Amino acid sequence: MLRVRNLTKRFGGVAAMDDVTLDFPTGSLTAIIGPNGAGKSTFFNLISGALVPDSGRVLLDEADITGLSRAAIVRRGIGRAFQVASVFPTMSVAENLMAAVAAQRGQWDRLGSRFPPAGTRGRALEIAALLGLADKAEVEAANLSHGDQKLLDIALALALEPSVLLLDEPTAGMGPEERWLMIEKVQALWERQKLTLVFIEHDMDIVFRIAASIAVLCYGRVLAQGTPDEIRVDPAVIAAYLGTPEDELA
Amino acid sequence: MRAGSFSRDAAIGLAALLVLAVIPLAVHSPFFTDLIIRLSAMGLLATSLNLLVGATGLVSFGHGMFYGLGAYAFALLMQKTAMPLWEAALLSLVITSVVAAGVGAICIRLRTIYFAFVTLAMQMLLHSIVLSWVTLTGGDQGLRGGIPRRFIFGVDLADQRNLYWASAVVLILGLLAMRHITASPFGVSLRMVRDNETRAAFLGIEVWRAKLTVFVLAGSFAALGGIVASLFVSGAYPELVDWPLSGQAIFAIMLGGIGTFLGPLVGSAILLGLNDLVTRETEYYGLALGIIILLFALGFRRGVTDFVLRRLRPPRVLADVERR
Amino acid sequence: MDLNALGGCLSSAACLVTQGTSGLIVGLLLFMVAAGLTLIFGVLKIVNFAHGTFYMLGAYVALSAYQFTGSYVAAIAAGCLGMGIFGIAFERFLISRVYGTDVLMQLLICYAVVLIFDDVVKIVWGADFQSMGMPPAFQVPPLFIAGGVVPPFYLLLIGVALTIALLLGLALSVTRAGKIVRAAAQNPEMVSVLGINTTLLYALVFAIGGALAGLAGGLAAPVRSLTPGMGFSVLIESFIVTVIGGMGSILGALIAAVVLGLIRSFGTIGFPLFTDELIYVFMIAILVIKPTGLFGREIV
Repeated sequence: MLRVRNLTKRFGGVAAMDDVTLDFPTGSLTAIIGPNGAGKSTFFNLISGALVPDSGRVLLDEADITGLSRAAIVRRGIGRAFQVASVFPTMSVAENLMAAVAAQRGQWDRLGSRFPPAGTRGRALEIAALLGLADKAEVEAANLSHGDQKLLDIALALALEPSVLLLDEPTAGMGPEERWLMIEKVQALWERQKLTLVFIEHDMDIVFRIAASIAVLCYGRVLAQGTPDEIRVDPAVIAAYLGTPEDELA
Repeated sequence: MRAGSFSRDAAIGLAALLVLAVIPLAVHSPFFTDLIIRLSAMGLLATSLNLLVGATGLVSFGHGMFYGLGAYAFALLMQKTAMPLWEAALLSLVITSVVAAGVGAICIRLRTIYFAFVTLAMQMLLHSIVLSWVTLTGGDQGLRGGIPRRFIFGVDLADQRNLYWASAVVLILGLLAMRHITASPFGVSLRMVRDNETRAAFLGIEVWRAKLTVFVLAGSFAALGGIVASLFVSGAYPELVDWPLSGQAIFAIMLGGIGTFLGPLVGSAILLGLNDLVTRETEYYGLALGIIILLFALGFRRGVTDFVLRRLRPPRVLADVERR
Repeated sequence: MDLNALGGCLSSAACLVTQGTSGLIVGLLLFMVAAGLTLIFGVLKIVNFAHGTFYMLGAYVALSAYQFTGSYVAAIAAGCLGMGIFGIAFERFLISRVYGTDVLMQLLICYAVVLIFDDVVKIVWGADFQSMGMPPAFQVPPLFIAGGVVPPFYLLLIGVALTIALLLGLALSVTRAGKIVRAAAQNPEMVSVLGINTTLLYALVFAIGGALAGLAGGLAAPVRSLTPGMGFSVLIESFIVTVIGGMGSILGALIAAVVLGLIRSFGTIGFPLFTDELIYVFMIAILVIKPTGLFGREIV
């Protein structure tokens, strides 16, 4: 269970995150939405250790992980994928994943043997298959299509065997059809791996169809958190953000 | 940089060693033996620098300081104590590693250009200390008096031929060790830090620790080159700690290609050849070398081995037209 | 290490004045070189490893101009303008080819220029130490301020350097050109999108940087001996100044340079054998506490 309590972060005089309190029950599928600049990516940065909050706490299964380093939080079980796919361009898909698996097994600093360590290749190909990348295992990451790079990014996060997966705009940069294919993959993954999944998304159709729970951020504050039905009729959310159902796609 | 197996690398190394071992038996050329000894020193320096630059993306301008430190530490230990050669060499490596850890701890946290510059400043600090501490180092005259007791496993390294063979062995072993580092999981982690440090951190890699470790390792191999240099010049001189050596190492890796493992060695060989050619033809070494560097930097731009590799690799087929 | 001597000096007004002004001119000369360096880095993100060569050539050109014309003013002008032009040529023909490439390539180009001109100076002026000597206008008895000895030339130097510092600071904050320069330092793409001629801008930045270094060389010529390779030590020290002061900050460079100059002049009394080392250690200390320098911002 991921719990965030009174999380605050200022840059200069601006509160990028202002007293945010949210709950993500184990195994939940939550979408974070909000207009640009609402603090969604900042939120991910604060949870994953890329930023240290000024005040507030982040609790993972009751353990306080506030202020831990990125690597330490990864070890605790939070994996992350990025808005712009963040992979290792000079390595193949398989190599990318083998490296991630090796890192997860605490083998990233092994000097005594050659890469890849024994057993990582099999696991890497398993993960690749989960995301539908098995047939592209030997392709260099830089040569993958944009969509495949996003998948590889998610695969890298999965290789860490996380209990919580943070996806920052998994469908960013994709056309309407590709978007649905991607989000269906994400949903299948969530069901199969029994993860706590939190994803940032701008496409309201997708959000309202897929998410079991939605949190709305605005100006660094939580506007509302609840089921899609609750959010749909929440007056504050409607006033601040949704407008009519037709104009989404921020 | 798809690594082969350890046995393949070892076989290549052994073959190279055999070839090198045999040459002076067939051809008597002091020029060649000197060249190989110098190549051993320079090659170790350049390849160790590439552990930082090419493998990890850490651009150090002052890497020569560990080369010079290794040379001075070794020469001093040999002159002032009664240690056998291998012990002095080992201790020099340890001393340099400790210094590298200290320097690294300060520099690693700095961003690219600051890192580059502060490593340079550290080297100038060492150079300055070497020049000032006349009672220990002989100041700008260097360590006179030669290196006594140059015996290793009963072999007298005062004999140039023996030094040649020893240098060749040290070079091959050093290269094999560095090769093993780049091909290990740690080496791949370095590559990840180079290509996408953020992602590497988000995979659980302690980036700071990785950088410090490779910095210390690179320093030790540079020191190994320095020890060879010290044996070659029978002592230690301030030129071994001065910046132009770092500059030469940088030029060597650029010339040879930072993208391949043997690039720096190739570049060192070319540079040594160029140096000899230039010093023979003109007294204005700086002018000539400067022009050569400009021609390279503005003209070829790519190191030799990078250039060759690009030609040899078949044209890549893109998985999709869409490319980042 | 002679702490007694140092203590003695610090408690004596005479010594304070003498050493203080001496340290001040060292610092201000360093500032002029460092100002150009930090400006070039701030706007172009180029570490001009050849900046010491501008200083050296400025001094030698001033020397020749002085020997030719007998006029010190002409000498300084020659050094300053000459290096401004040299800076433009350097930027147009060499540096502009390596914008955006990795820093090693830029370093190599600068290093090549250092090598070449160290030898050019040897060829044209000879490898021996040269000196300009004090121009007749300044061959007057030194001033005695609070018992301390202050050569009048030092006052000229201090005056010129502080004026330059003031003009530079004003130019950057008040004039339109200055604002463009600062904008370019923050956001190069935006500046070119706004229609500013970036080619001209970059050449201008190198012209100013070169001119400042050349001016410093010309001002240093009467009080320093000239030798090929004099550029390198100035380079290292001005880099230390820019790193301590913060890359891109003129004010930081001024403060750091003056502090360094004072450390050097008082340091030679207390620690004559390792004054250089003292300066390096000072830099390391600053970097450990604040990696971006006193006034620097995190420039990635």
